Amino acid sequence: MKIRTIVLAAAATLATLQSPAVLAQPGPAVLAKPASAYSSGVVYDWFYLAFQLIQQTPGFSPPVAARALGYMGLTLYESVVPGMPGYQSLAGQINELSSLPWAQPDEPLHWPTVANASLATMTRMMFSNASAENKARIDTLERSLPLKYTQDFDPNSVTAEITNRSETFGKLMGMAIMTWARTDGGHEAWGPIRRHQQNYVPPSGTGKWSATPPAFAPALLPYWGKNRPFVMKTADDCPAPPPPAYSEEQGTAFYKDGLEVYQIANAATQEQRQFALYWADDAGKTPTPAGHWAYVANDLLRAKKADLGSAAEVFARLNMAMSDAFVAAWNTKYKLNVLRPVTYIQLVIDSNWTPSLLPTPPFPDYPSGHSVQSSAAAAILGREFGATTAFVDNTHNDRGWGPRTFKNFKAAADEAAASRMYAGIHYRFASDGGKPQGQCAADKVLALKFKR
Amino acid sequence: MVSKKICYLAAACLVQHAALAAGALPATPRFVEETETAGLQSRFEGGDEFMVGGGTAVFDCDADGLPEVYVTGGVNKAKFYRNQSKRGGPIKLQEQRSGLELTNATGAYPIDIDADGNSDLVVLRVGELEVFRGLGQCKFERANERWNIPPSNDWHTAFSATWEKGQTLPTLAFGSYYDRSRPDFPWGTCTPGFLLRPDASGKAFAAPEKLTPSYCALSMLFSDWNRSGQASLRIANDREYYQGGQEQLWKVTPGTPAALYTDKDGWKHLQVWGMGIAGHDIDGDGYPEYFITSMADNKFQKLEGDASRPTYFDQAYKRGITAHRPYVGGDFHPSTAWHAQFADANNDGWADLFIVKGNVSTMPDFAILDPNNLLLQEPDGHFTEVGQQAGVASFKRGRGGMMADLNGDGLLDMVVVNRQDKAQLWRHVGSGNAEKPAPMGRWVQFRLQQGGGNRDAIGAWVEVDLGGRMERQELSIGGGHASGHLGWMHLGLGETKDVKLRVQWPHGEWGPWLTMAADAFYVINRETGVQAWKAP
Repeated sequence: MKIRTIVLAAAATLATLQSPAVLAQPGPAVLAKPASAYSSGVVYDWFYLAFQLIQQTPGFSPPVAARALGYMGLTLYESVVPGMPGYQSLAGQINELSSLPWAQPDEPLHWPTVANASLATMTRMMFSNASAENKARIDTLERSLPLKYTQDFDPNSVTAEITNRSETFGKLMGMAIMTWARTDGGHEAWGPIRRHQQNYVPPSGTGKWSATPPAFAPALLPYWGKNRPFVMKTADDCPAPPPPAYSEEQGTAFYKDGLEVYQIANAATQEQRQFALYWADDAGKTPTPAGHWAYVANDLLRAKKADLGSAAEVFARLNMAMSDAFVAAWNTKYKLNVLRPVTYIQLVIDSNWTPSLLPTPPFPDYPSGHSVQSSAAAAILGREFGATTAFVDNTHNDRGWGPRTFKNFKAAADEAAASRMYAGIHYRFASDGGKPQGQCAADKVLALKFKR
Repeated sequence: MVSKKICYLAAACLVQHAALAAGALPATPRFVEETETAGLQSRFEGGDEFMVGGGTAVFDCDADGLPEVYVTGGVNKAKFYRNQSKRGGPIKLQEQRSGLELTNATGAYPIDIDADGNSDLVVLRVGELEVFRGLGQCKFERANERWNIPPSNDWHTAFSATWEKGQTLPTLAFGSYYDRSRPDFPWGTCTPGFLLRPDASGKAFAAPEKLTPSYCALSMLFSDWNRSGQASLRIANDREYYQGGQEQLWKVTPGTPAALYTDKDGWKHLQVWGMGIAGHDIDGDGYPEYFITSMADNKFQKLEGDASRPTYFDQAYKRGITAHRPYVGGDFHPSTAWHAQFADANNDGWADLFIVKGNVSTMPDFAILDPNNLLLQEPDGHFTEVGQQAGVASFKRGRGGMMADLNGDGLLDMVVVNRQDKAQLWRHVGSGNAEKPAPMGRWVQFRLQQGGGNRDAIGAWVEVDLGGRMERQELSIGGGHASGHLGWMHLGLGETKDVKLRVQWPHGEWGPWLTMAADAFYVINRETGVQAWKAP
């Protein structure tokens, strides 16, 4: 590494020697500082904006939101990894991504500028159907961050040439990853995919899912489980344990869990009702479940004063794991097509019952998507920040529901999983069965070799 | 001379680059644009289906030793130009009706399919492929039916050809882009390329052999990467539209279906916006290296270890040919590279690199002012950009191109096809100027000939002894970007007056060493030996 640093420094000097423009207007000394020399401020602001875009952009249901965050996390990491000594690109370890553009060894880059450009590029492309107002927010954020984080964008320490070069490298990385993202099966899920899948007919039969009251909406993203995951080879790599056999007989495991939903939902404590609402993470109103966990990570990174490289590593792991968790969950949901509690209870227990807190989401029950992805998120964050680390969750402060303190990530994930039962929209076995599936998705990501 | 093989030490880098800065550039060729005076009036235009392609074919169809020029026009009609230049003088092209005036043409490659001594022409199109049989004196007839070219309505984007051992007809490889019926969602819809191999009669082609998987090929090149005597098919694929794709190398063995080299064989996955291929033995190890054009991340691939496995690594940075952003014009955005070709532009005996550049359309994050490159190779294997000094730094939206000697003076001229703009032509005036061209290094040009089907000896290797150093060239059809050449092989000789040269004929047999005087044209016949060629 020392030799490489010397060469970079020499190359920078060379650039000064060779370029007439630079000779005419000598700039400040160029130092190829690593990504760890900068704060993660840029990262914080971009993900903070993404959480708002998820809420305000049509089509960003929980799986779609998780996917967008996954690509943003990976793009961030890949754009700054050339500035992370000892680390390597994930290309070659990730499905169908063999190689990515690499920074030129003789062209020093300014990593906050690279990150700003790559995240701006990826945000624009991921939220291509954002409102005009939100598109303007993306542009504004990209322009304003160098002014906000002056310690990272000190004009006395970086030349205009390096800024330009860094911007183009960040954009190039964003575009290279986007070319790959478009073929994962989930691209523009609100557009062509929705049109092609609108004729999906769910399989019928005893115990099978059917559209649920009150909206009786068609199945959401029925083929999402066939999407190309980031790390799992296929969604089948992380199956959920089998649910109990379907039965309408009293005393069976299935009946018992159905009855439990009916009883708990009808007699939920105030605390249980709060948990249900807290973890509802509805599309259109919140950053969705994946955004919720990424929000937690964003706050933790800021509180920890994490550097740019560390933040990139955390968001790559966390967001890819959550996206893969949704793919795994959706794969199981549409393979098993387990009916929702509302359908079961109306059929077997109380024909007039509907859950009172939340409407039942329009897709099969098993496993709970929240459970799967919360389990994955907790596993990643536990590894990154410590399994016993307590944290403060500010995600829903703007709704008056926070801040909330959790004793550790697993406790929060368990609460998120159980909340779906309290809300009357999942069986206990769906909440429990999602946990090992999420852990599996996280384990696959944790096995990636980030370091050389 | 200070070695620049690798800048291991910063001090060494500084010293050698300081030397360059002091003016120790290789001899810089001078080019003069003669588009207007030559009579070249062609524009490559069209919408999205013409964002790639834009090729030219350069070949001699009237046996006067001066190559004609065929230029594709996209939605405009392609044009055929008879070469009426005087040797050593300004380039003069005369548009002539030839039957090749096709719309939707995107690329063209000359090839003598039926070994009658008349160049035939393969025209890549958005829609039906068309193959024309040369009749002599630049007359052509459509030969799709005669040779059993299959009907296809795909978006054809790449071509290469080889002669498999024992065959009279060549094996043709075609590549195509994404599914034209899916413009709403083109990603992951690359249509399959295919091989056309000779049928049992040896007079036409058998049913197509699909190259599956295919990944939106934008260039194909049959090349003998391991000098086995049998060419393999290299394909540059565009990552923009494929799913799970990569650059490819197909093993094409007579009598068996083509098979991909895989990671088990040592092939390393590489994903780029592959748009063009140029091959040449740059480092003199006897095996070709390959330059792959892309959007910013161009690659120069060299074999890793011996030639037992097709494992390549990138040396673009080491050799100074990353060509990843404009070198002049002030646009700092990444470059978009298309046609690439190794050729000796200054006749110093070292192959140089010509790259045609241009924005896809108006992509804001890529350079709009994206000049073509002319990178001169130095004896230490490093390349130096001289496009601006040479006068070829065009800022038009370049696509295909060709360096070839259009006026028979031993200096390679240059044709470039530009999207939504006029094609351009530059005359090489050596170290002089338009009024007074001056020689620049010695050279030799020759055509290979042999009996049997492969009359032009495609697949041969030529080896020239330049005072103890061997310069090698493989004679191939394909590569570049949608642009082909058939005619004189050109070698720069530096100061060498009498050149020693030998030919490894297709499929293995070496011919004897031949001695030839420089600055002349020759025909080297496998059976009868070398003969000086005189212009009629």
